[in-house]
Parts: sequence; structure tokens; C-alpha cells
Amino acid sequence: MDYFLQLAVSGIAIGAVYGLLAMGFAAIYKSTGLVNFAQGEITMIVAYIAWTIATTVSGNVVVVSAGAIAAAVVLGLAIERIVMRPMLGEPVFSTVMVTIGLAVILRSSITFIWDAYPHALDLGTGRGIIRIGGLGVRGAQIAVVGTLLLLLAGFWLFFRYSKFGVAMRAVAADDRTALLMGISASRIHAIAWAASSVVAGIAGIFFAISYDLSPDMYQLGLKAFPATILGGLDSVLGSGFGGILIGLTENLAGGYLGSGVKDVAGFVMIVVVLMIRPFGLFGERDIERV
Amino acid sequence: MRTISAVQSPAPEPGADTAPALLEFRNVRIVYDNAIEAIRDVSLAVPRGGVVALLGSNGAGKSTLLKAMSGILHTEEGVIENGSIQFDGVDIHRAPADDIVRRGVVQVPEGRRVFAGLTIDENLQMGGYTRTSTDAREARDKVFTLFPRLADRRDQIAGYMSGGEQQMLAIGRALMTNPTLLALDEPSLGLAPLIIDRIYEIIAGLRRELGLTVLLVEQNAQRALEIADYGYILENGRVVLDGPATKLAANADVQEFYLGVSSTGRKSLRDVKHYKRRKRWLS
Repeated sequence: MDYFLQLAVSGIAIGAVYGLLAMGFAAIYKSTGLVNFAQGEITMIVAYIAWTIATTVSGNVVVVSAGAIAAAVVLGLAIERIVMRPMLGEPVFSTVMVTIGLAVILRSSITFIWDAYPHALDLGTGRGIIRIGGLGVRGAQIAVVGTLLLLLAGFWLFFRYSKFGVAMRAVAADDRTALLMGISASRIHAIAWAASSVVAGIAGIFFAISYDLSPDMYQLGLKAFPATILGGLDSVLGSGFGGILIGLTENLAGGYLGSGVKDVAGFVMIVVVLMIRPFGLFGERDIERV
Repeated sequence: MRTISAVQSPAPEPGADTAPALLEFRNVRIVYDNAIEAIRDVSLAVPRGGVVALLGSNGAGKSTLLKAMSGILHTEEGVIENGSIQFDGVDIHRAPADDIVRRGVVQVPEGRRVFAGLTIDENLQMGGYTRTSTDAREARDKVFTLFPRLADRRDQIAGYMSGGEQQMLAIGRALMTNPTLLALDEPSLGLAPLIIDRIYEIIAGLRRELGLTVLLVEQNAQRALEIADYGYILENGRVVLDGPATKLAANADVQEFYLGVSSTGRKSLRDVKHYKRRKRWLS
């Protein structure tokens, strides 16, 4: 039983990291109709920036998180403005290819700017192991689950009650009509990119605290992508939960069936789920009236 | 048979005889994809407080003109190659779409285009996007008095409403922008005759009570000419005929080809074919 709980708890913790990234995928997809394949790379870069702040400026948690979040906003806005906006109106396929190109560029920039060695992101907190009964959990692992839940609630409120949130849904549903109402799609897209980079960056920082920084961190994006497909590509909240499910499945499968199965388990699950629910667990079907 | 082009008023002088026009297209030429000429040298004017009908069959270029007016041609690779569009004396044909809405020009797009997944309330909120929240709230109350049914169903998902209700919501959403000029693109499309009556009553009421200037795009010429003061007929991207609505409705060619009536009884298909062939030569 302890073994199961331990697997489940660490599965949920890594799942929360996937969930945050998946929310970033969904936020961009929902408002721009694009899948951003550079999501994992953005996560990694923000984590590296956090590490740079921690090692050069101050290791204070508040300073590091504030700096990293600001950097994530700038990064998201810059990508939208410099790379994505000129692609507006071009075929979706080309635009998605651009994000793949961007991913490769960002990935290799890690070794240019920083180096190829793993680093520990030590902020003085979060790395210690907390014992609850027989379970050992890192503080950062608890914190990332809490953050995910907070952000899920925040996004729900945002999409439901804020003017920008509703506008994001309107642009997603019909950007041309939104334009007719004076809603500038590029501004909405910029907000989505910034928000998506911030949640991805937060995930990266938590991951780096719990585990380590390394140039292969971008692979988190590959794990989070099934999570967002599972939860529904157009559902930010569903993607968050999808992350938890993938993390849990992966860890339990790895623990009981062997580590070879671990990486495959999540994908097996999405194949099965998508055959039953093609729009994902929480994805919306288009409303069609005849 | 008289030729339709013989009745055309001398271009480019449009139909506003007295007051300066609120909205004016001057010698506009629109090209899609650098190749397809959708609008060729069209001039038309909408006088302040007037109702102008823009008639024509499918593909004549009516919606293209409205898209140009609203500044969204670029979303379909369309470009205004020539001419200008003026609103209230200011060129708007290079202005961004949100700027045009803020100036008081709005359109109810073809097919209503309500945001299907949003509630009625949220749809109206999006109409008020360019306004402050206090102004938007006031405007929403006005829309609710105008369309009590929308108020009753404000929390319902717009996509599940009937076509007539969606049209009312689309009009209400456009009114939320506080327009001076309201353009409607085929408001009768796909609606039952009784509902069309209701929609046209609403449009007439908007002009009467709110003093709105209306640009009405229709295939349904009869309905449109009933409430319009002036009309333009568009064929293959050019204005082939324009005049006061009563005169247009009395014109033999208009009666025959747009209103479906003829003084000499039913014409044979051959006459129509002849007309179509002649039209092709002329254009």
C-alpha cells in the first residue's frame, strides 16, 4: 500500500507539471487555433533564466519567481510579435511548422547561452523531503500541485468573468466576427502567448527545484502534449486534469509494469480515450444547428 | 427589352442629392488574391439617417463591399486597389477594424454569426468590447428593452437559439457598439416569412426611434425596397442601376429580375438566357 501511495503521490506531482504545460498548450490553441510545439522549450528556457537569477542576483524565492515570470511574459510576447504575428492568416500547417522550427532554435540556444551540464535550482526551500506517515515528498512537489489547482481556479474565473477571457473564447470561436465587434485578435493572441509562457515557466521552475535543470528538459513538452490531447485541446481546465491523469498513469505503470512501460503508458491511454471520445475528456464538440 | 445599363445614373455621382453622405464609397475597386476582381469602380452613398438598400444576386459583391467598409477584407486576402471609403468625412478604408467600430460603423454579418458557445449575455458583452463597462451595461439594458426575449434567456448558450432569435441577438450585439451606421448583410436569409416581417419591423424601428442610418444588403429585393429610401443594384461587381426605392420597385427590369413580376406576363426561359448573355457582354 505504501508503495502504491508513494507512486501515486509522485505521479500526481509530475502530473501537475505536465498539467501546467498542457494548460499552456490549450490556452494558445483555444485562442489562436495553433499547437505550439515550442512549449517544452519555453518551459526549459524560463527555468534556466530562473537559475541564472538565482545564481547571479539573489536566491530569494520571491525575487527569482518574480524575475522568471517577468521573463516568461517578455518571452511569450516576443515570440508572438516577432515570429507568430507575421504568420497570421497563413496556412495552419506552415504556422505549426514555424513553432517546430522555433522549438529547435530555442532548444539549442540552451547550450549556446548556458551549458550542457545539469544544474540544481536551489532556492533554499522546496528541495527538502517532507515525511507524511511513511511517504516522502519534496516541498516543491506539494507546491506544484497546489499551484496547478490555484491556476485552474484562476483560469476558470478568467474565462468566465473577465472581458478578456470571454473575448478569448469569442476569438477562438470566430475571429472574423470578433474583429467586426472591434476585438483585436492580435492583442488577444499576445495575451494568450504571455499567459501560456508564464504557466509553462512556472512548471519549469517547479520541475527544476524537484529534480534538476538539464538541456533535455524540453521533453516535458512531449509528455504534456498527450495530456492536453487527453483533456481536450480546446479545454484549458481539462488539460490541467489531463496532466494529472497522465502523470499518475505513467508512474503507476512504471512502478508495477517496469520502467520500459512508463514512457509508453500515457500514449496508450490517449489512444484508448481518443477512440472513445475523439474530442478528449473535456473537449467541446462544435455546436451545430440545422 | 430595355437595357439595364441605359437607366444607370451617370457615375460616379452617387445618390445623395442634398445632405452630404454619412458613408460614401468612391470609385472602389477590390481585388482578391491579386487576381480576382470582385468590385469594379463602385460608388455609392448612404445619407445620414437614411435607409439604403444594396441589392443583387449571389456573388454580385455585396458582402465584399461590407467587408471593405468594416476593414476585414485582409482576412480573405482582399485588397482595395483603388478609390476610397469615407465615413463622416474621414477616410476609413485603411483604418483597422476596431478603429472603424469605435467611429460608429458596425455590421451584422451574413448568417448572423453569433458566438455559438457563448451565452446571450456574453455575446452582448462582446458587442460592447470597445466601450467602458458602464457604457456597455447601459447599452445592454437598452438592448434588453428592445428585445425582451434576449433578457429572459440571457444565460442560455446562443448556439441553441432559433434562427430568428439569433438574428435578434446579432442585431443587439451590433447595437452594443453604439453605432451611427448599422449595416445588415442579408438579415432575412434562411428565416421564415413571419420572422422576416418581425426583423424588418425591428430595422424600421431602429431608424425611427434611434435615428440610425441603415445600409441594408439583400437578395430579397422586395422586402428591402419596402423600407429603403434609395437602392443600388449590384451585378458582377458594379452598380448597374440606382435610384429612389419607389422608382426602382417600379422599374420593369428590376421587377422582372429581382422582384419576380412582369407586366407582360411570364417570360420564357429564353428571354432570361438572352438577358444573361447580354449582361455578360456588357460587363
